[in-house]
Amino acid sequence: MSNNAVSIKHLNKSYGKLKAVDDLNFTVQPAECFGLLGPNGAGKTTTMKILYGKSQPDATPTPYIDIFGHHPKQDALVIKSFSGIVPQQDNLDTELNVRDNLYIYSRFYGLSGSDALKRIAGLLDFMELSEKAQVKIRELSGGMQRRLTIARALINQPRLLILDEPTTGLDPQVRHLIWNKLRELKEQGVTVLLTTHYMEEAFQICDRIIIMDKGRKMLEGVPRELMKANLEAYVMEVYGADGHNYPGITLDQPGIRCETYQDTLFVYSDKQDRLVSFAESLSLSDYYIRQANLEDLFLKVTGRSLNELQ
Amino acid sequence: MNFNNTYSVPAWWQRIFSVWYRHERVYNSNFLSNAFPPFLEPLIMLWGLGIGFGAYIQTMGAINYLLFLASGIIMTSSMYTAAFECTYGTFIRLEFDKVYDGMLGAPLSTNDMIIGEVLFAGTKGALFSLAVLIVTWLFGIITYPWSLGAVVIGFICGIMFGTLSMWITSFTHNINHFNFYFTGILSPMFFFSGAVFPLENLPKSLQMLAQTIPLTHVVTLARAFCVPGHFKMQLLYNLLYCVIFILITGWLALQGIRKRMID
Repeated sequence: MSNNAVSIKHLNKSYGKLKAVDDLNFTVQPAECFGLLGPNGAGKTTTMKILYGKSQPDATPTPYIDIFGHHPKQDALVIKSFSGIVPQQDNLDTELNVRDNLYIYSRFYGLSGSDALKRIAGLLDFMELSEKAQVKIRELSGGMQRRLTIARALINQPRLLILDEPTTGLDPQVRHLIWNKLRELKEQGVTVLLTTHYMEEAFQICDRIIIMDKGRKMLEGVPRELMKANLEAYVMEVYGADGHNYPGITLDQPGIRCETYQDTLFVYSDKQDRLVSFAESLSLSDYYIRQANLEDLFLKVTGRSLNELQ
Repeated sequence: MNFNNTYSVPAWWQRIFSVWYRHERVYNSNFLSNAFPPFLEPLIMLWGLGIGFGAYIQTMGAINYLLFLASGIIMTSSMYTAAFECTYGTFIRLEFDKVYDGMLGAPLSTNDMIIGEVLFAGTKGALFSLAVLIVTWLFGIITYPWSLGAVVIGFICGIMFGTLSMWITSFTHNINHFNFYFTGILSPMFFFSGAVFPLENLPKSLQMLAQTIPLTHVVTLARAFCVPGHFKMQLLYNLLYCVIFILITGWLALQGIRKRMID
């Protein structure tokens, strides 16, 4: 048994001819927040499902999976006993109210009634849902349902929390609340493994990330370092351009890198004044210079055009 | 919160019971709307068929017609409730509400979920049988003291149609297709199981066919508990049929649902 919380080697998963996960390798340290980033169809969800036995990896080549010393093939129930799982789609029990959702779920872990009630009160408070205890699921907003799903995943006080797109489709307030809660959990020693396509989310809470595309790992590292190593500091966006509008001017100049997508020209550089002088040399008016962010890195790595699964 | 506790997977019977308990809680949270139909149904049947037919037919074979009919619908009532639970009910939990997906995040296997649900179907079958019995006791139709034993047969009947229906559900991808099951399979069973009329005078081929369908065997068993003088060794054969039927359809249901849930 290694000292890693999670380690994955040579993980493959095919659905017919489609390769959903392609020779994926990564490790997660205990009490680390680790993010899987990628566009839809990159294989993030499939990877998560494999970890708790909802999906089975390809048998050949034999993958190495170690989750706190357990393999989902033999020990799916053991892994689930110490993990909390937040699936991409909320799947609360709509036939039960908020408290009963947590109560019934606590029974699946064999918690005693009094223990469960104590934890439920604590979790409703933690996720700011105490006033909704008796409310039916269908009457909850999307953000409340998400918080309840996370509360449900915490009922066994997990050491590993697996979250599949925890904040997709939520408003900024709820998103920040969830980020704060995840940070708190991490400080308490919980290992957090999440998928997202919000770059800000990765930046806010992930210690390390991998960027995936078409089932493969494209980049791995600490978000800030990844940006430094792979991307210029600044980017200028020029609208209404398609790259062919500037006859006689070469876009291939030292110190800058250009990329066009539909009618927007993206010019990258480490020096802000280099971008300004470039804009002036083209006598551009409609442009915008900003710091490059993780999203730019993401788009650089995974490409700007849509794949057939997006 | 303390996140350094020790973790353990509950024993198999605890897991199955926790699934059963989930269904029980949901069922009881709608107690009023759930408690009436099992009593109402036999009343309607006994009134409709009993008073209508009963005016012309006093005895069926050697048995009073109302008694014959009552001892039959103890089982059909159980059959229908288990079949509804494990077709429409299961399908909605599986496909629309995704309740099963949610449960699979807890330390439960698909087997735990299916067995827990089938046991609940059996429980409902027993309850519905009991409701019919209570009605027939009140009307003085069934008076044999052994008749309480029919509740156990109602449980077995619920399990049988639970496993059968669950298996059907495992390969059904459109909820409307359950119509074929109900009108194509369960309705003929209702008539050709000896529940509403005896099989003895049917053509030989139909009699043979009747022996192959599950409802016939539980009706035979239930009637032995409700009508004096029907206990005989042959009932062991009916019981054996039930056990084998449950094992086969139950195994098929486990395979089918697991295949559908784990990709």
